[in-house]
Amino acid sequence: MSEAGRAPVERLAARAVRPTGVLLALAVPLWLALVAYAPVDAVQGIVQKILYVHVPCAFAAYLGFACTAVGGALYLWRRVEGWDRFAASAAEVGVLFCALVIATGPIWARATWGRWWSWDVRLTLTLLLFLVYLSYLLLRSFTEGSERTARFAAVYGIAGLAIVPLNYFAIDLAGGRSIHPENLQRGSLGAGMRAPFWVGVLTALLAFAHLLARRLELAVLAAREAAREASEADPHAARAGGSRP
Amino acid sequence: MSAIGSPRNDPRRAAPVPAPLAIEARGLAKRFGPVVALHPLDLAVARGRALAVLGPNGAGKTTLLRLLAGLARPSAGTLAVGGEAGSRRARRARVGLVSHATALYPALTARENLVFAARLHGVPDAGLRADALLARFELDAVAHRRAGAYSRGTAQRVAIARALVHEPEVVLLDEPFTGLDARAGALLEGIVRELAGRRTVVFTSHDLPRAAALADDGLLLVAGRGRPLDAAALRDADALARALAEAGA
Amino acid sequence: MSVFLAVLWKDLLVEWRSRDRLAAMAVFALLVVVMFQFATPPGASPESRAHLPGLLWIAWLFAGILGLNRAFALELENDAWSGLALAPADRGWIYLGKAAASLAVLLAVQLLSGVAFALAFAVPLDAAAPGLAAVAGLGALGITALGTLFAAVAARTAYREAMLPLLLLPLLVPILLGAVRASAAVLADGTLPWPPLRLLLVTDAVFLIVSFLCFEYVLDE
Repeated sequence: MSEAGRAPVERLAARAVRPTGVLLALAVPLWLALVAYAPVDAVQGIVQKILYVHVPCAFAAYLGFACTAVGGALYLWRRVEGWDRFAASAAEVGVLFCALVIATGPIWARATWGRWWSWDVRLTLTLLLFLVYLSYLLLRSFTEGSERTARFAAVYGIAGLAIVPLNYFAIDLAGGRSIHPENLQRGSLGAGMRAPFWVGVLTALLAFAHLLARRLELAVLAAREAAREASEADPHAARAGGSRP
Repeated sequence: MSAIGSPRNDPRRAAPVPAPLAIEARGLAKRFGPVVALHPLDLAVARGRALAVLGPNGAGKTTLLRLLAGLARPSAGTLAVGGEAGSRRARRARVGLVSHATALYPALTARENLVFAARLHGVPDAGLRADALLARFELDAVAHRRAGAYSRGTAQRVAIARALVHEPEVVLLDEPFTGLDARAGALLEGIVRELAGRRTVVFTSHDLPRAAALADDGLLLVAGRGRPLDAAALRDADALARALAEAGA
Repeated sequence: MSVFLAVLWKDLLVEWRSRDRLAAMAVFALLVVVMFQFATPPGASPESRAHLPGLLWIAWLFAGILGLNRAFALELENDAWSGLALAPADRGWIYLGKAAASLAVLLAVQLLSGVAFALAFAVPLDAAAPGLAAVAGLGALGITALGTLFAAVAARTAYREAMLPLLLLPLLVPILLGAVRASAAVLADGTLPWPPLRLLLVTDAVFLIVSFLCFEYVLDE
């Protein structure tokens, strides 16, 4: 794999793995401490604290999809495979965070409202995002040919991103039923809840960045290995001095 | 790699001035992910020549044709077809491709297929052009039958007519002789010879003697690497067979 | 522009020759409706009637997907696809031609199955008809606009037709919601409320633009 296949973001990722890992190692205990010492919500009880995981993961999930779509668009524009690797890695990491959001939401809802699922606006939107993520990953695995996969995935990522705001308005229209507590909107967090919340967001984003950087590193290594295997299989490569394409 | 097919040495050509190059490629390469389908290739084909691209399966012949046709984007290098070096779109206007699959709609008749292709290429008076091609290729008898019912030979003639609907300078044929009986093969040979006079023809083939008989020049592609063959080398069937064998055909 | 008309003419001609797409889609839509009738408990309570617009749109949605798959299956025979890819034209027009043809077929299916549906479920149509037609049209436009792009993608994956609903359905949520809301309102009191209509219009526009621009990359090799 020539340097021409590397995207700038891959070089950045290679340098970012260690710093993000270190910062993450520092952030997690801080966040856990803040969460443990945060005041217990008077109405919802201690279960409310699961939202310190739920909401930050949502940030990461949406950021992940934005990265997937933007990476795909950059691939179509520049035709540098690194951008496709970036998009695919962002999708794989983002879907994890999205799954966490979907998993933690009902836990909180059940404890607070007695129902596992309520078709609440934001949670439904995130569920849709999860389905779009899954479809994206399925599309990637069922398309043959790495170039075609990259192109098709990029198109789907772009379409998916365009839909997110539309889906928001659509679900809002559907009655906008929300059991999401209003006090989670910015600026109206109770005293003592802001710190764990924002540190939580920072931690989630750091975790996302770190996992993405590692995943991307892995993808680059896999691509190099595949290129090496391909050139070894070429019977003329040895005669040509083992030149790499 | 040297240019192939300089017209000055060819007794068939009376033109004293060198004809412009119909196809000019420098460092043309195609990669599919980690797999290199075509290593950097230099190619120069003068107008009016017939080039035979020979090689074992998987050597990259179809990839080369698709690159020339503007169907695939080169991974590296430059390519000019019919003097058109710019966008793939402009190159597509200069090229006609006949693949192994006919690209015909089985539910439509030959005439309808041709009219559609003409309109797709922006040919004015699509109906007239279609009728002219039908007449030229002696397809009037089947013109109004659905394409799904055609024999392979007939379908191929319609496919060639379809490729010519926009009067391209360069005609590409991928394995045209495969699957044809002797009569259809002879007919096709005649068509290719006729085409090669006025246009530039590039075709791939496994049929070495036929390729040698029809082509002015050759290109041997093995594992994505190309080697030019001049007219003499083309006709040396034994040497060709040996070259293919040692490449692991 | 002439490319658009050529592709539209070709698709409609091929469809006319066999008429299989239209028949399959119409029969499918009616089957879904009939199945629903068997699936619901007896006794037509007002609540169950409230679900009727949603049912009809689900039926149309899946009929639309069926038709879209067929639209590209015909291109894969004899690799006619390459013929389209070779055209030196802006590929967005090829997209529009195919989308328009699929839209025409879906509209015809909606008309046939809509009338049958109204008769079967004793839905009074007189006042509601124009509004319903408008909603049906806008909804069908959204389905075929994005669906044509994704059908082209799905046709060349390993799962072919099965891939299309997976790709398309999550993204068609705005269309479904807007169309069902608007249809329900029209059937209830003949009015066409603006919010769902606006959602349909905006979504249709976004789908058309994104698909027109992205089709270039889908037809590539």
